[in-house]
Amino acid sequence: VKHALSDFAICGGPPIFEKDVPVGQLYFPDWERYSEGMRGIFDREYYTNHGPLARELEERVAELLGVRHALCVTNGTIALMMAAIALEIKGKVLIPAFTFIATAQSLTWAGAQPLFCDIDARTYQMTPSTAGAAWEEDVEAVLPVNLWGSTCGPTALEDFAARKGAKLYFDSAQAFGIVADGRPVGSFGTLEVFSFHATKTLSSAEGGCITTNDDALASRLRNIRSSYGAGETVAVPITANGRFSEAQACLALLSLDDLDAHIKQNQTLFQRYLDGLAGLGGLTVFEPVNVDRSNYQSLACEVDADEFGLSRDDLWQLLRAEGVNARRYFYPGAHRSEPYNRTLQPGAGSLPTTDRLCRRVLQLPLGSFVSEEMVDQITDLVRSAVTHAPELARALRG
Amino acid sequence: LAQVTTTSAKQELGDLAIFGGQATFSRVRSTSNLVQPDFERFLHYSRTFFDARHYSNAGPLSRRLEQQLTAFHEVEHCVAFSSGFWGLVLAARALALPDRHEVIMPSLTYRRMGDAVALAGLVPHFCEVDENTLAPTAATMSACINNSTALLLAAHPIVNTCDAVSLGELATDAGLPILFDSVESVYETSQGRRVGSFADAELFSMHASKLVNGFEGGYVTTPDRVLAARLRDMRGFGFRVQDRVECLGTNAKLNEVHAAMALASLDDVDAQVAKNRARYRVYSDRLAGVEGARVVPFDEQQRPGYKTVVAELTPAWPLSRAQTLEILHAEGMLARPYYAPALHTKHTSYPTVASDLSMTEMLAERFMLLPCGYQTSEADVASICDLLAFLSAHGAAIGTRTSGASR
Repeated sequence: VKHALSDFAICGGPPIFEKDVPVGQLYFPDWERYSEGMRGIFDREYYTNHGPLARELEERVAELLGVRHALCVTNGTIALMMAAIALEIKGKVLIPAFTFIATAQSLTWAGAQPLFCDIDARTYQMTPSTAGAAWEEDVEAVLPVNLWGSTCGPTALEDFAARKGAKLYFDSAQAFGIVADGRPVGSFGTLEVFSFHATKTLSSAEGGCITTNDDALASRLRNIRSSYGAGETVAVPITANGRFSEAQACLALLSLDDLDAHIKQNQTLFQRYLDGLAGLGGLTVFEPVNVDRSNYQSLACEVDADEFGLSRDDLWQLLRAEGVNARRYFYPGAHRSEPYNRTLQPGAGSLPTTDRLCRRVLQLPLGSFVSEEMVDQITDLVRSAVTHAPELARALRG
Repeated sequence: LAQVTTTSAKQELGDLAIFGGQATFSRVRSTSNLVQPDFERFLHYSRTFFDARHYSNAGPLSRRLEQQLTAFHEVEHCVAFSSGFWGLVLAARALALPDRHEVIMPSLTYRRMGDAVALAGLVPHFCEVDENTLAPTAATMSACINNSTALLLAAHPIVNTCDAVSLGELATDAGLPILFDSVESVYETSQGRRVGSFADAELFSMHASKLVNGFEGGYVTTPDRVLAARLRDMRGFGFRVQDRVECLGTNAKLNEVHAAMALASLDDVDAQVAKNRARYRVYSDRLAGVEGARVVPFDEQQRPGYKTVVAELTPAWPLSRAQTLEILHAEGMLARPYYAPALHTKHTSYPTVASDLSMTEMLAERFMLLPCGYQTSEADVASICDLLAFLSAHGAAIGTRTSGASR
């Protein structure tokens, strides 16, 4: 525990962690299972192009999520882009500005245009209300994002899109393993897109997946992905090489075996953070909302500088100096990032909740690199920082 | 060659699988390289990322791979990607002149090339190729240059290379950027210089079917430091530093498992080329006396990789290419047409530009790729050559028995 100001790394003290602790998830199978899985691929001499492991994974994911089709793809961003192409979207797509930049980029590559909306101040997600406030008559589709172990309330957004006559699909990159509105995330809207990046609950190092109950749409997506595993040949606007290798499939299958254990560990760590940070004025942990079961993908919190005594950026720098690689997701917000900032009109497109959170949100480590003891070290550090807030703020400003 | 014996030579028409005979191969022999690196080497490399617990996002192995490839190609910079396709999309977008939109490229090339260019927001403008080399030339590309030209995209043919020096000079004279699709020419030299060191940038694939098997993957080489930095930004969502997006990007990162595979494969590349050469020699020697079939020769004054063997069906060949391929497929020989159909003949949802490409159309009907690569032995090659000799000798009768459509 850091008692004195000089104990803090930014003031010359030793950092708590010698090696940076990433935000997560970064689960990976042990060496024996990895070696065995890869040896199987070498024995089969089948390396990519919709191989036996990719097919097995698609079947298991579809069964687990209760959908007719699961299509594994190179990564979640390419999957999102393929989705826009398959849905033949060329116009405006309503998305929350409070999202990873890939949501918007996928649309630009597909020839569509993101239209940014705000998020709800209570749930931190896109809602029918925030979507309605940004609505324009020529919006073609709605692409909500399920963030941080929560969802945006998919059934309500299905109703909203139906009323508007707009296409609806979900960026569920962070949402594998979540149950919401009585069923697994994966079957809402026309389709949903997951990420299997190493930072997600289900990992294939890089990877992604599209789930849908629409047979025709699945056929188009398979034809866009590549020639292999395309099944029936159907006309598509363009192909995009989204192949998923056997190595990726091997990792994802092993990760799927461990999914419940990973989610359980996430939940334990999440609760430990909640306990450790309880009662700290000005620091609010985002607890899962709109879910029957969360995957506890991320631990994000909002820092109110006036009440907490330190700004989010102060706390961020302080933690980084201690070896806690906390992240400012999603700073500065998709709408204020290249190239979308170029079309942001001064005074127009005001997204106050998004802008507030972009200034205030901090994500803390959760996942395979983190033990309960490490959570205690991090929360103790945050508590100590509060007691030294004025001096630390001055030290940070030189 | 004398030691290479065949196992199931066909004696009469009824021995052909299309007529009910036993197929030559029970497991297909394909045109894909599918080289298998040493498993222990793969595990050895894997240990690095495993111990570092770094699975993607410019991890230790992808950085090491980039370093080794810069040395291999004798070029200053290499940027690895999740696939050659996405390396091409990003490189084309990064290189294209602003406010222009046409990309001059051959039509006799990789079937997804037009799609990649269109995804980059550009318009394919198809050019002709040379009859003898199957490659675009300075003359065929120059004929297409206009005020809308944003980029020259020269694709090396499957056997040998373009005249990279002349094409580079054309680009310089015209004030245009030039990108080579060098996917089929990893090991090659052009005028004594390593492919990969030419032009503004060159593109390679590490798909399992290529010379370097990385499961999936690709890379771009370039002498241009600024371009390399731009491509690194683009493959990682446009981030130059944390929280700062510099440009439109996407996710085209190479993961560490694929990088481990590529590194292990690269370690074996010289041994692999020696085996490729041995297969090529069997094809060349055995088909030398087969009327109507000609192996397209590698230029051994340069440094061939011998990865893919291409045969030309001359007017003396007694069957159509489609018939020939059908017979080969039935025998478990997954021969494939050479870049057919030509891209300009395909319907696309995006605009393209093409003028008279009659040479391309003629060439697109004439060549085929023969089975080769790691899973095809020299004895297999001998069996394939024996079958082709049988077809050459009995083509007329086969044609009559199938449909009477021999040409």
